[in-house]
Amino acid sequence: MITGTGITKIFKQRGSVLGAREVPALRGVDFAVAKGGAVSFIGESGSGKTTLGRIVAGLETHDAGEIVIDGVPMSTLSHRRRQPYFRRIQLIHQDPYSALNPTRTIHQTLEAPLRLRARQAGRPRSWVDGRAAELLAMVGIDPGYVLPRYPHQLSGGMRQRVVIARALTMDPEVLVADEAVSMIDVSLRLGILALLKDLRERLGVGVLFITHDIATARYIGDDGELYVLYRGQVVERGATEKIISDPVHPYTQSLLSAIPVLHGLERPGAERVVPREMQREGEPDGGCLFARRCPFSTERCENEMPVLGRDGGPEQEAGQEGGQEYACFHPRRRSVIPVGVGE
Amino acid sequence: MTAHTAARHTAAPGVRIRDLTVVYKTPAGELPAVRGVDLALAPGTITGVVGESGSGKSTLALSLLNAVQPPGRIAAGSVEIDGLGDVLTLRGEDLRRTRGRQVGYVFQAAQNSLNPLKTIGKQLLDLGRSHDVEDLRGLVRDAKDLLARMGMDGARVLDSYQHELSGGMRQRVGIMLALVLNAKVVVLDEPTTALDMITQATILRIIREVHEERALTTLVITHDVGAVAEVADSLAVMYGGRVVEHGPVTEVLGSARHPYTQGLIRAIPRLSGDLSLARALPGRPPTLGTLPTQGCVFRERCERRMEVCETDEPMSVTQDGRTVACHAADRHLTLVKRKEEFV
Repeated sequence: MITGTGITKIFKQRGSVLGAREVPALRGVDFAVAKGGAVSFIGESGSGKTTLGRIVAGLETHDAGEIVIDGVPMSTLSHRRRQPYFRRIQLIHQDPYSALNPTRTIHQTLEAPLRLRARQAGRPRSWVDGRAAELLAMVGIDPGYVLPRYPHQLSGGMRQRVVIARALTMDPEVLVADEAVSMIDVSLRLGILALLKDLRERLGVGVLFITHDIATARYIGDDGELYVLYRGQVVERGATEKIISDPVHPYTQSLLSAIPVLHGLERPGAERVVPREMQREGEPDGGCLFARRCPFSTERCENEMPVLGRDGGPEQEAGQEGGQEYACFHPRRRSVIPVGVGE
Repeated sequence: MTAHTAARHTAAPGVRIRDLTVVYKTPAGELPAVRGVDLALAPGTITGVVGESGSGKSTLALSLLNAVQPPGRIAAGSVEIDGLGDVLTLRGEDLRRTRGRQVGYVFQAAQNSLNPLKTIGKQLLDLGRSHDVEDLRGLVRDAKDLLARMGMDGARVLDSYQHELSGGMRQRVGIMLALVLNAKVVVLDEPTTALDMITQATILRIIREVHEERALTTLVITHDVGAVAEVADSLAVMYGGRVVEHGPVTEVLGSARHPYTQGLIRAIPRLSGDLSLARALPGRPPTLGTLPTQGCVFRERCERRMEVCETDEPMSVTQDGRTVACHAADRHLTLVKRKEEFV
């Protein structure tokens, strides 16, 4: 179990003589990944989703808030003491081509971390080879074929499976998958997503799934939770299927409306939402962060910042029943996603 | 308006690719990346070419500019553009003038193909001079118009260096540079890859609008079926260097005939519909080295493979504006025909 409360990160832009400009990447994000759970963070570039993943994996510090792993607040530990905890959280990133050392065979790649595990657990050396084969079988590839090979001899899909197998050598509790399928061929993407789902069920590994493609979040498990991140703030969260079929925040609606319609198979949603403007850098922070682009914003939105769960408007009670929360003064359900032609 | 503007609205040219074969020199001999491709781009339409890595789609696109680089070589075929003739016979100065003037090209990762040391405006003037544009002021005016048309402040963009622009802005600059010399045939290679969802939707809308306003014949190359479905009139599906299916986009998606197209559509993560019906295609896309030399290129991943698929390459069969190259689909069609004869 891993929880984050009020995770805040501020990047300081260099270059200015008169003092650095501060750019908030995360503005007090709360979340929890349970054992075997699936939590997806959705957002565009600059939303802070990658920064969040790196903080959770222990690769980045944060400026405020607390990460709690298995009941232990990380802020109470020294940097060295934290390492064993963060080892239980493994990061899988976007590019399986650069994530593997090209001069090592897959066998060598898996052997090093497994030796460390064997030493820690007092297991014999012979355990290492068996475990490597076992892990590769678990991620759905033939160990006999893959073990002696170098990364360049494998397809993108296979490499990503090897990366996942390597993460599993640490017996992680949580896998942080940052755009883990965006560089994989379309015909193979579902295979990787199904594998993540399978690992949740079989090993009880939690998955923190970070993506800009909302549709993929459905495929790591329909029991998952979805967080929509905009400029470092969670603007809507709830059950994945619920948020996708019944989005309330205009930003979530914009994201879902932007997903291409497969004409011939689908008809566009009746109330697709298009933002008024493109996102700009260095926008001011007063009021709702989405107000300037939002087609439904009012004067209140310009001046006041809505808080997740507290400012839900009249529909709030209904929304919270299903665990759905949003930060919007004017929430309204809209049908924005495509409908099957046959339906 | 001026004569300059009037010239823009001449009819869009048609493009006919006939029996095109492009080979790459490898240690194992010359291997075909594109083999025997026939594809006609109807005047004034947007044709989408969809394929995974190694399908030959980018090589096909480069052939339209006669720009296949060694170790690649166009081994056979012709690319005829109305008013221009066979592009593959053009050499030297004639070829250089054609590129940009008649055929505009937006390269894959256009956001990275700009010169980082020069402002966009300087690069525009370079383009104008290399094509002997006399009225450079007019060129700048046209560029500003195009940029404004795409929702940007033209003067500001021309004064900017590429690092001062966002990914979506650079992509639009790429489109502007491809159109500013009034090319009538435009090729866009992966125009929305690496862009956020909302930006992608905006770029696709702009491509469609500019295409219609300027009466272009457009070819969009992508791995993303959704992006093509949103923007194209007709869809060609490539696999292992062949066009395996081609037809109106709604028909190809709504009732795909080739087993690869059917599998690809099933493998797309979608926002609605039954999760259990979706699945990845088995196996993996072929590379130049693993392409079978006889029989059907897709047979190893195909659920409908027959004996004949091992030995004979399926011919393209065109019926009712739809082209399919598949023994199984063929048989289905002939069976239907026979039944009709009996009735």
